[in-house]
Amino acid sequence: MPDNSDEIILELTDIRRTFRMGEVSVHVLKGVSLQVRRGEFLAIVGPSGSGKTTILNLIGGLDSPTSGTIRYRDQDLTRATSNQLTRYRRDAVGFVFQFYNLVPNLTARENILVTTEISQDPRDVDEVLELVDLTDRADHFPAQLSGGEQQRISIARAVAGNPELLLCDEPTGALDFETGKKVLRVLLDLNRQLGKTVIVITHNSALAQVADRVIHLRSGEISSVDQNESPIAPEEVVW
Amino acid sequence: MKTLHRKLIRELYDAKGLLLLIASIIAVGVTCFVAMQSAYHNLDEAKCRYYRQCRMADFWIDLKKVPLTELESLYSIPGITEIRARIRFMANVDLEDFAEPVSGMVLSLPDRRQPVINNIVLRSGDYFTDHRQNEVIVSEKFAQAHDFGPGKTIHLVLNNRRQELFIVGTAISSEFTYLVGPGSFVPDPIHFGVFYVKHSYAEDIFDFAGAANEVAGILAPEAREGIDEILRRAERVLDPYGVFATTPLELQQSDQFLSNEIKGLGDIATVLPTIFLAVAALVLNVLITRMARRQRVVVGTLKALGYYDRHIFWHFLMYGLCVGVLGGLLGSVLGYLAATGMTSVYQWFFEFPDLRSEFFWYTHAIGMSVSIACALVGGFRGSRAMLKLQPAEAMRPEPPKRGGRVWLERLLGPMWQRLGASWRMVFRSLLRHRTRTATGIFAAMMGAGLLVSGFMMTEAQEFLVSFQFYRTARSDLEVTFASEQGIDALAEIKQLDGVDYAEPLLSVACDLVHRPYLRKVGITGLVTDARLTVPYDSDGRQIRIPESGVVLTKRLAELLHVRPGDRLTMIPVKGERRPVEILVTQIADSYMGLSAYAQIDYLSGVIGESMVMSGAQLTTVRDPTQLNALYRELRQKPNIQGVQSRRVMIDQVTETLLQNQFVFIGILVLFSGIIFFGSIVNASMVNLAERQREVGTFRALGYSEWQIGSMFLRENLLTNLTGALLGLPAGWCLTWLTAASYNNDLIRLPVVSAPWVWWTTLMLAVVFALAAHAVVQWTLSRMDFLDALKVKE
Repeated sequence: MPDNSDEIILELTDIRRTFRMGEVSVHVLKGVSLQVRRGEFLAIVGPSGSGKTTILNLIGGLDSPTSGTIRYRDQDLTRATSNQLTRYRRDAVGFVFQFYNLVPNLTARENILVTTEISQDPRDVDEVLELVDLTDRADHFPAQLSGGEQQRISIARAVAGNPELLLCDEPTGALDFETGKKVLRVLLDLNRQLGKTVIVITHNSALAQVADRVIHLRSGEISSVDQNESPIAPEEVVW
Repeated sequence: MKTLHRKLIRELYDAKGLLLLIASIIAVGVTCFVAMQSAYHNLDEAKCRYYRQCRMADFWIDLKKVPLTELESLYSIPGITEIRARIRFMANVDLEDFAEPVSGMVLSLPDRRQPVINNIVLRSGDYFTDHRQNEVIVSEKFAQAHDFGPGKTIHLVLNNRRQELFIVGTAISSEFTYLVGPGSFVPDPIHFGVFYVKHSYAEDIFDFAGAANEVAGILAPEAREGIDEILRRAERVLDPYGVFATTPLELQQSDQFLSNEIKGLGDIATVLPTIFLAVAALVLNVLITRMARRQRVVVGTLKALGYYDRHIFWHFLMYGLCVGVLGGLLGSVLGYLAATGMTSVYQWFFEFPDLRSEFFWYTHAIGMSVSIACALVGGFRGSRAMLKLQPAEAMRPEPPKRGGRVWLERLLGPMWQRLGASWRMVFRSLLRHRTRTATGIFAAMMGAGLLVSGFMMTEAQEFLVSFQFYRTARSDLEVTFASEQGIDALAEIKQLDGVDYAEPLLSVACDLVHRPYLRKVGITGLVTDARLTVPYDSDGRQIRIPESGVVLTKRLAELLHVRPGDRLTMIPVKGERRPVEILVTQIADSYMGLSAYAQIDYLSGVIGESMVMSGAQLTTVRDPTQLNALYRELRQKPNIQGVQSRRVMIDQVTETLLQNQFVFIGILVLFSGIIFFGSIVNASMVNLAERQREVGTFRALGYSEWQIGSMFLRENLLTNLTGALLGLPAGWCLTWLTAASYNNDLIRLPVVSAPWVWWTTLMLAVVFALAAHAVVQWTLSRMDFLDALKVKE
C-alpha cells in the first residue's frame, strides 16, 4: 500500500550546481528547492539539459552542489565526508541507471551479490530475483540478457541492499515501450508494496502519470510541481 | 567482496595472454635474480667451507731458498700465528703416449698427514705411505683427464732428471680452486696439473735439505686488516733469501679469479633483474591503466552502490598483485633450475669438494617480494587514477581525448602537411599517449642495451684472445730453461727440426718501486725488434723495445702511478739486488696480468750479467708428426725446465669461450626478445582496444586489415627503433660498468665493439617488432568491426 506519510526524508534547499567547461561556466542548477516525503513516488521531468541527472546525482551523494544544502533525515549531505557519502549510498540509496551499468563479467545473481555483500541489512538474493521475476535467468551474464531483463536485474541490485530511497535515472530510456512498462510496474510495486521512496527522472512526461507527484524542470529551475491525485497503472500508460 | 574477486578472476582469465606476457617479463627478472643470487651464495658458501677445510693461507711468500731454521723469526712479527714452509717447483710431465707439452706444479707436503696450512682434500686413494719415497698425489682433474689413479706411475722431470713417481691418491686443494697454467686464464687440466710429493723427497730431489722456497702463513683474524704491513716486515726479515713475491690472499691467483667471479655475480645479480622488473612495472602500468579506464563505468557504479575507494583501489591493484605473484612463482622455480645449471657450469671451472645447488629461501622470498612490489608499483598509477574520479563523472563515458595539434606539427610546419593521413595518425597517436610511447621506448632501449652489452662481451673475449694471443704474443711454443743460459743456447734451439724461428727471452723477477707504490713483477727482456712478443700502445701502434728503460703495461703503470718519462726504482730479486733507477719509456696496452718489457741486453746489464736468456719463444712447423718429434726432443734436453705450447693453450681457451658464448648469446637473445615482444604486444593490444571504434570506422570506410595493421606496425617500428637506437649507447655503458666491476690485476675486459654488434642489435629489434606485429595483425583479422562500431558512447 502507498505510504504517503507527511514525513520529509529528503530536503534540497536552494541548490545550485555550476560546471566549468574550459573557459566557460555552465549553471546547470539555479537554485532548486524541493522536499521528498517518505514512501512517495516522485517523478522529475524535463527535457535534455534541464538538470535532471544532476539533481539525481546530488540526491544520491554522487556529486556535491556548488551551493545550497541537501539533508537526508538528520544528515547534511553537503557537509558529509567522502566516506560518509559512501556509507549513505550503501545504506540509504539504491540506484537504477539508464544503461543498467551491470558488471559485464558477473552473472545476474553475482551482480546482486555485489550489493548484498556490503549492505548492513541485505535482502535475500533469491527473493529479490523473484521480485523482478528473473529467478530462471539468475546465472546468465549481462550479455545473455535482454535490455529489459538487464534493467530488472539492475533494479533487483538496487533494492537488494534494502535502501529507503530508489533513484532511477531514465530507467526506461533504453527500453522499448512494452518492456519499459514492465520495468515501471516493478518500480511501482516496490513503492507500493515495500514502501520504498522512488524518485524517477525522465524526459518522457507520459511516464509521470504513474507518479504521486511530478516536478517539472526547465533550464535548471523548477517550472512547476503537479500533485497527481489519481496516478494510473503502468499498463495504462501510453507514449 | 567475494563477488568482486570472482570478477577479478574472470577478467584475469580474459586478459590472460597479456598478463602472462608481463608475468613472463617479471619471471625473467626474478629468474635472473634467484639464479644469480643462488649461484652467488652457492659459490660463496662453498668457498668459505672449502677454505676452512683446507686451512687456506692468508699469505704466500716465494723465495729463492730459505733455511727452515730462519723461518722461526717470522713468528716475531705480531699477527702471524702460523706458518708452513714448503718446496715448490714447476716441472715437465713426461707422458708416454701424449706428445703435447704437459707441465705441472710440484709441491711438497709433510711425509705424514697433518692438518697443515693449504691442506689437500683427498678424492681417491690415500695419503703417502712409508713404503716408498717417490709417492705422488695428483690433482684430481689432471688424473681424470689422463686416466691416472692410485697404483699407476707417472714421470716428471724434476731438477733436470726424469723421475718415476708412484701415484697413491688424487686430491684437490682450495689453493687451486681455479687452476690455470702459466700465461692462460682458462683451466686446462689436460696440459697442466698439480703434483704433491713428500717433503723429504722434494728436499732430496731439489737439493733443498732443511730449506724451502715458499712460505704460507695464517694471520690472527684481527691482524688481517694490516696484512700489507705484516708482509713488508716479513719481506725485510727474509730479504737475504731472495723474496720473489709476497702475495696476500686477495691477490692469490685462484682466489682472485674466484672472488672476482663471486663479486661480479653479486653485482650483475642486482643490475640485470632491475632492468627486467623496471620494464615489467612500466608495461604493467600501461595495461592496468587501460583496464581501469575501460572499467570506468563499473568503477562509477561500484562507487554509487556504496563501495569505498579503498575497495576499488585494492580491486585494481589485485590485477598487479596476481601478475606479480605469478611472475614471482615462475621466476622462483626457473631461477632455482637455472641456479642448478649455473652451479654445475661453475663446477667445471672451479674445483670444489662439495659445490652444490642449495635452496636459499631468503633469496626466493626477496625475489617474490620484489616481483610483487614491482607489479604493485606498475598497477598503482592506473588504480589510483580511478579514485580521483567523482562517481557521477565516472559513470559518464570517458570524454573523447583532447584533439588538437601535437608539437611535431608545429615543429614540422608545412612539412607536416606533406605527410599522408595515416602517417599523421601514427605520429599523433604516439605523441598523445606519451606514457605508453615512453614505456615502449624504454623497454626497447633496455632490450637493445642487453643485446649490445652481451654482444660486446663476446667481442671483448675475442678481442682479448686475438690481442693477447695473436698480436702481442705470437709464438707457438715457449721454452723455459732450468737456469739462465748464454745467448748461444738460442742457436742450439734454432737448429732443432721443426723450429722455424726463435727469439731469446729473459725473465727477471723484481720489485718496481715508485714511492710509495711497490709491485713485484717479472720484467721480460726481449730483443729490440722482437717479432714474437710485440707490445702495442693504446692507439694500436707497435712499441719498439727501447735500448734502455722499460715499457710498462697500462694496469701496472696505473698501480705504480707512473707515466712515460717517469723514473722508478727496480730491485732485482736475484743476484746482487742492487737498486737501479730506470726510465719508463712507454705504456703498453695489455689485458692480462701485469707485465713490463725491456731490452734483453739492457736487462742483463741491470742484473749484472752479460747478455743472458732464461728461455726462448719459437715458431714451429704445423705438421703434427714433426711437432711431436720436436716436443719429445725438447723434453729430453736437460737444461730445459718447461715447454709450453701456446697453440694448444689458445685452442683450449677459444674452445672454452666459444662453448659458453653460444649458450650465453642464446639466453640473452631469448631474454631481450621477451622484453621487446612483451612490451610491443602489450602496447599494441592496449592501443587496439582503445581504438576499436576507429578501426571499425576504417574498416567500414573500406580500409583493408593490412592497411590498418600497417599503421600499428609503423607505430611499433618507430617506438622500437627509437628505443633500440637509444639502447646502443646504453648497452655500451652497461658493458663499461660490467667491465669495471670485473677488472683486476689478472684480467681486464676491453670495452670494444664492432659494426656487427650494432647492426645485429637493430636487426633483432626489427625482427622482434615484426614477430609482435604478427600477433597484432592476427588480432585485427579476428576483430568484429561491426561490433566495434556498436560500442556506445
